[in-house]
Amino acid sequence: MNPPALQDSDARIERAHSSTRRKTLAMAGLIAGFVLWAHLGSGIPAFHSEVSSEPGWEKFRADYRVDHFGEDGQFVRAVQNGYNLIFYTHKYASRFTRKAASNRANSCAACHTAEDLAYGFVNSDRFDPKLGKRVSFEERVMRCYAGPMDGFIPTLYDPAVRDIRLLARAVAHHLQLSEGALRRRD
Amino acid sequence: MSMSTGKLTKIVLLVLGSVGLYLLATHQHGQREAIRQAAVALTPACVEKLGRYGLARSEHYQSPYALQRTGASIAVQGYGEDDVRAIQRGCNIIDDTQGSLAKDPGRERWNAPRFIRGTHVSCDHCHQGIGDKQDVAGNPLKGSLSLGASWVMADMYDRFTGLLSPFEFRQMQCYINSSNGYKPNIADDVIRDVTAYSRFLSAALELKIGNHYDEQGIDEIPASATPKQGDDYVRGEAIYKKKCANCHGPQAFGLETNGRLVAPALAGPNAWNMQSRNYFYYVSTILPGFICRNMPLGEENTLSNQECRDIAFYISNLPRPAGDRQGPLVALQQQILMTVLPPLMRLTKSAGGSEVTAERVLERDQSRP
Repeated sequence: MNPPALQDSDARIERAHSSTRRKTLAMAGLIAGFVLWAHLGSGIPAFHSEVSSEPGWEKFRADYRVDHFGEDGQFVRAVQNGYNLIFYTHKYASRFTRKAASNRANSCAACHTAEDLAYGFVNSDRFDPKLGKRVSFEERVMRCYAGPMDGFIPTLYDPAVRDIRLLARAVAHHLQLSEGALRRRD
Repeated sequence: MSMSTGKLTKIVLLVLGSVGLYLLATHQHGQREAIRQAAVALTPACVEKLGRYGLARSEHYQSPYALQRTGASIAVQGYGEDDVRAIQRGCNIIDDTQGSLAKDPGRERWNAPRFIRGTHVSCDHCHQGIGDKQDVAGNPLKGSLSLGASWVMADMYDRFTGLLSPFEFRQMQCYINSSNGYKPNIADDVIRDVTAYSRFLSAALELKIGNHYDEQGIDEIPASATPKQGDDYVRGEAIYKKKCANCHGPQAFGLETNGRLVAPALAGPNAWNMQSRNYFYYVSTILPGFICRNMPLGEENTLSNQECRDIAFYISNLPRPAGDRQGPLVALQQQILMTVLPPLMRLTKSAGGSEVTAERVLERDQSRP
């Protein structure tokens, strides 16, 4: 038979273990709850891979037959993000531009149409006499962020660059452009 | 006093170090620019290919290939001198990645072999016809890994990496896995020049952005495209000996003679690694597709689907380098197998059978009309 002091000690240890288990379970439940809420109930864009649908997207999608690449999918979502970046640059690339909603020219679309970008894409990777070197499409986009958009340069890998290229590629496909295609001046 | 002197010394050393690094970087940039500006000595195959496609400095470019085949050709944006040189260097890299035809491989191929382990790999081994394989009549061949067709379909979702894979990423994967080597920087000239060449090919062939062409990628062969006899190692070995060993060697370690590569390794230290899509256990449809559509050279499309799968299965059972995901134990195991197996196999085969040598292959090649 254990002396009373030892019995007290065992009971204390048991209570401590029980309390720890309850805390662990509560934390796990909290994390699981947060994950479920974030993915299913929050509606916050950062927590899910769908892209917010901005005004004009459905028309753009139909006009350029983006559904050729599937109704949904990684490529189409990237094109949609590209659309948001071009037409709502101040909102979707706020890290890379100082332009705000109140500015008049606050998006790529202020200077370029989607077709401009498609032609720019198929004519990229060419020598630019002004810069004295061969310039890729991505570098042009980066220069736009730093120059006309009065902001900062994203990395080459950033979706803020990549998704604009993908949008240009989707539009170039719709227009059935080949490499180096020249725009007809009708 | 001594403390402030120590601090001052550290600051001076730091400044001197920074200035030294800056000067070194400037020097390296200068060297790279000098290479970009230098005239390009083309390989004989590139002379033929680029000459046929009419690559020259001009305001507009019209494809002689399209003109000849369709009677019409669309004028597109032409190429400046820098663009032409980039395309020429890209062609050289694809045709002769190791620089064996170059006077100074370090300068003329951007030292591409530094991204490759082993001495066999050249892009042209998989992307045959310098990335633009055609039949005698000039028709692109199905499943021939055309670089031009690959460029127009770049950026699509890649089921193996889960990425929207740009053309440059695909090249990096080739260096890492198919060449069992190292990843170049995305902006490295070795990547950019190959992209320039691939884009020129798509212009010369008048391919449209986002369209799928038969010559793009591999014509994959799944088990469902066979009579489902099961992929058989023994059957694969027999077909390999009959159809492939003459060039690739009895143990598939490739053949070299007098320092010249006769046929690349399909196994062993010079071959692709276990993370490559060519590795049957990783992707079982790609290597059979490549074999059926591109091998044996000059006799393409003569093997049955089942034979291609059997050969691929057999080759993939031979030892080869481990990839990034296999870990050190598998790497060690493969290294031991690559070292121990060849002498053992020679020993067991020495009792009978004819040994294929590079000399015999060359004799055979020379006796061809």
